[in-house]
Amino acid sequence: MTAGTTQRRPLLSMRQITKRFGAVEALVGVDLDVHAGEVVAMVGDNGAGKSTLAKVIAGVLQPEAGLIELGGEEVTVPTPAAAHALGISIVFQDLALCENLSVADNIFLGRERRVMRGGPMDRDGMELAARSILRDLTVNIPSVRTPVRELSAGQRQAVAIARTLTSEPRLLVLDEPTAALSVVQTAEVLTLVQRLRDLGLGVIIIGHNLADLRAVSDRIEVLRHGRNNGSFESATAHPEEIIAAIAGAGRVPEPRWSTAP
Amino acid sequence: MAGSQSALREANRAMVVETIRRYGGLTQVELAAATGLSAATVSNIVRELQGAGAVDVRTTIRSGRRAQLVTMARGTGLAVGVHIGVRQMSLTLADSAHEVLIEQSLPLPHEHRADTSLDRAALMVVDLLERVGSSLGELLGIGIGLPAPVDVATGTISVPGILRGWDDVPVAQVMSKRLGVPVFVDNDANLGALAESRLGASRPFQDSVYVRVAHGTGAGIVLAGQLHRGFAGTAGEIGHVQVDAAGDVCMCGSRGCLNTVTGGPALIETLRASRGPLTMADIIGLARRGDPGCRQVVGDAGALIGTVVAGLAIAVNPQCVVVGGELAETGETLLAPMREVIRRRVPLNHIAPLEVLKAELGTRAESLGAVLLVLESTDLLTHWFDDQTGS
Repeated sequence: MTAGTTQRRPLLSMRQITKRFGAVEALVGVDLDVHAGEVVAMVGDNGAGKSTLAKVIAGVLQPEAGLIELGGEEVTVPTPAAAHALGISIVFQDLALCENLSVADNIFLGRERRVMRGGPMDRDGMELAARSILRDLTVNIPSVRTPVRELSAGQRQAVAIARTLTSEPRLLVLDEPTAALSVVQTAEVLTLVQRLRDLGLGVIIIGHNLADLRAVSDRIEVLRHGRNNGSFESATAHPEEIIAAIAGAGRVPEPRWSTAP
Repeated sequence: MAGSQSALREANRAMVVETIRRYGGLTQVELAAATGLSAATVSNIVRELQGAGAVDVRTTIRSGRRAQLVTMARGTGLAVGVHIGVRQMSLTLADSAHEVLIEQSLPLPHEHRADTSLDRAALMVVDLLERVGSSLGELLGIGIGLPAPVDVATGTISVPGILRGWDDVPVAQVMSKRLGVPVFVDNDANLGALAESRLGASRPFQDSVYVRVAHGTGAGIVLAGQLHRGFAGTAGEIGHVQVDAAGDVCMCGSRGCLNTVTGGPALIETLRASRGPLTMADIIGLARRGDPGCRQVVGDAGALIGTVVAGLAIAVNPQCVVVGGELAETGETLLAPMREVIRRRVPLNHIAPLEVLKAELGTRAESLGAVLLVLESTDLLTHWFDDQTGS
């Protein structure tokens, strides 16, 4: 490397993460780096450990061994609330939105703003803030007063993502955000992921559709049987190589950081 | 029959419709000026077309005065423009008045394949039509822009190797079979040129060159108001002009092409050592925010592209050069060095200096051009009169 190289310190750095469920080795010595303004796609077969890793990041599960660094400092993530306080947000597959509540109510659900301590809810303030978040995301939702049941699947995904942004996170984990969406809705969500990247967030996206993940990610990390099984630059990697790594066929390239100084 | 009153009336009516379609919406005064017909004739024809439901007339303000704006009525047909880029696909659904009804883009993976991408484009077309409450029946056709030279007659890429995974794919045939509507395929820079010359920066000029600077560089040439595609559709492929005899071998098989020096991968590689891995969007964003390294790289690319465009300008003598494509989003960072080089190397004409302008339609130019290609290739009037007599 030449002089003047900007050494980029990862936003999230996980080393040798191990998690067992009885005799099942869900994660074995897994490494993962995510930089600010970077989209990392996690791929792998069913049971490869993608969701387990996401749950470890989100504080839902505790690893038996391993090191987690956030912004260069070693941290523990004992609970989802702790993850939230550290600036880590996660959007699960089922979205967990309330059908009968409006877009704005859903975005501030459980974190309602109040006019004063113990006072009534600041509805106007929440609606304005919700509108501004959706505008930042360039999401096309006609009104923040619309009940969520009237929204399309793609719009719901956008509301679920908008909800995580109220706490101004640094890292966002999206679990299967385009599963069961039509092509136009997928296009909307993928455009949204690009927007999150532009906002400077680190994004981890878990999924199965390799074409979509290659389209929006900077890097693709393959997990197989709970182990790292290849790291690919999305801008140059061929799908065949990635599929081979998922299936366990062929040579496994070293993860990039193992060769870095 | 020829020369009779009714034939003349018919011809004038066709001219009015043609003119409205070309510019989207015009006031009656502008229509008279554009067609050369008298104000009274235009007024009569517009009233007739309005009565038949072919055009809409609404009140507008032009230069501070009330005026009657004439547009094609929605329902005379819709057109979809699809721009398939290297890493993104953009769709624009518009009506025959060039009114954009809905737009959507989809990020695409590196070296996306024709079968998957066309499949997704077809699904998106149907989805978007549904969103505006329409259906395939109302669709006049689909225009597709590809980042490679296209043989317009067959709708197939005419130079192999430039767009990997798309060679020998009869794009027009695949799509029209799938959706049952006419499909027109062209090079994306040609479509950008068409859109800018009809609706954008080169609208006042008869002869213009549109330069699209994105992952690769290409140009579209408009002569006497018509696109000039060349024999096999390779006219304006300036990305493959040699700029470095000892340079890298290009996708096209030639050596040291402009694209090997100013193309997306080359810019990304140049910045990798000092800025880390960037995407094209990152480079554009950083240049706009004033990052000196990215500005340097974009500016140098502009100067080099300028030397090649200067050669093209000497060959075709356009009145203006319009610069579009993603990299033009950096504005003067790209345009200023390009303009300087072009002005210095094209000194032949002292009547009026060659204008170098930023595209007015921005990154929409190509998909709008694809819409225009459909509208200009479809005989709207026949379509409409067939409908009238049929019902």
